[in-house]
Amino acid sequence: MTLPHLPFELPDGALIRRFLDGDERAFRILYERHTPRLKMTLQRLLGTRRQDVDDVVQDTWLAGCRGLHGYRGDAKFSTWLTSIGVRTTLNHLERRVDRDTEVLDEMSAPLTNGPASTIDLERALAALPDHQRVVVVLHDVEGFTHEEIGEQLGMATGTSKATLSRARQALRLALSEGVSNAS
Amino acid sequence: MHHEDVPAGDEELARLFAELPRTASTGEGDTDRIVERLRREGFFQARRRSFGWMLQAVAAVLVFLTGTFAGSRYAHRNSLEEMLDRKQLSVADRVLLLQRAGSAYVRAAQSYADATAHVDSNAVEVASRVLLGAAHAVARSSLDAGLSERLTTAMQPVVAPASPARKPIIWF
Repeated sequence: MTLPHLPFELPDGALIRRFLDGDERAFRILYERHTPRLKMTLQRLLGTRRQDVDDVVQDTWLAGCRGLHGYRGDAKFSTWLTSIGVRTTLNHLERRVDRDTEVLDEMSAPLTNGPASTIDLERALAALPDHQRVVVVLHDVEGFTHEEIGEQLGMATGTSKATLSRARQALRLALSEGVSNAS
Repeated sequence: MHHEDVPAGDEELARLFAELPRTASTGEGDTDRIVERLRREGFFQARRRSFGWMLQAVAAVLVFLTGTFAGSRYAHRNSLEEMLDRKQLSVADRVLLLQRAGSAYVRAAQSYADATAHVDSNAVEVASRVLLGAAHAVARSSLDAGLSERLTTAMQPVVAPASPARKPIIWF
């Protein structure tokens, strides 16, 4: 479908208003602007089940679009969308807990094509328990505060800090011993 | 969002985190797929603004038609003919009806007189007979204290001087 040109530089707020008025072009720009970052975040959160990332991204956008009338612009749209993505991912992980047998096969596929150290870190992250991985990704990669993580995951700030500490400890151990041995 | 609580021993870990890529490439058909799903949910089917405008126009037409119908019904229900046909009228309504009918008679007679350039014997006869018939009806109904009877007597020579025995005709 060929659609008339719409400036890609339009701010999120303008695009959201246009999208809510039924403008498909505005949605496409929003989607293409925010999905690469969202996809990488959700991929990391999913850990060993990252092959489901495309479905989770779609579900996140669907949930976001359905609730877009409630978006007041208090937070950046990307932060708001990521919050929805986190909840969608957690629901997905809970539903798919029976598929843990796929873990070892998927560990062999690196998330990035970067230096060996980052590949090891990605693998070590994927091998963490779900709740530890979510906390460490949100805090150390995405920059969420413990208060924000507590709100997202429904846990106390102290619990978030303790979980982060254990996650880092597990990561250090895994990186020092080699990810393959740790997994 | 900001980083916090990075212990001194975690510098290496923090450096590795900083090197991690922040974006992933999206699939070629991903955008079309989500657009299609949203379209199925009705997101791109109609612009809300034009839909709202159409809704307002339809509502305005409905309000106009309803008002016209209600006004017409009200006017019809309160017409003289409709009230004459109705059985369930209060005494006050019946007094009002009588007054309105009398006013209608006077207006009709005036209109008849205005329509004739000179003294029209037909007009005079019709107007008189109607008035006389009404007086007879009132007398039979015992609605007055002899006034209608005196009126009938007073009008009798005007209406039928040649045949006093002729019965009055009620035109109602």
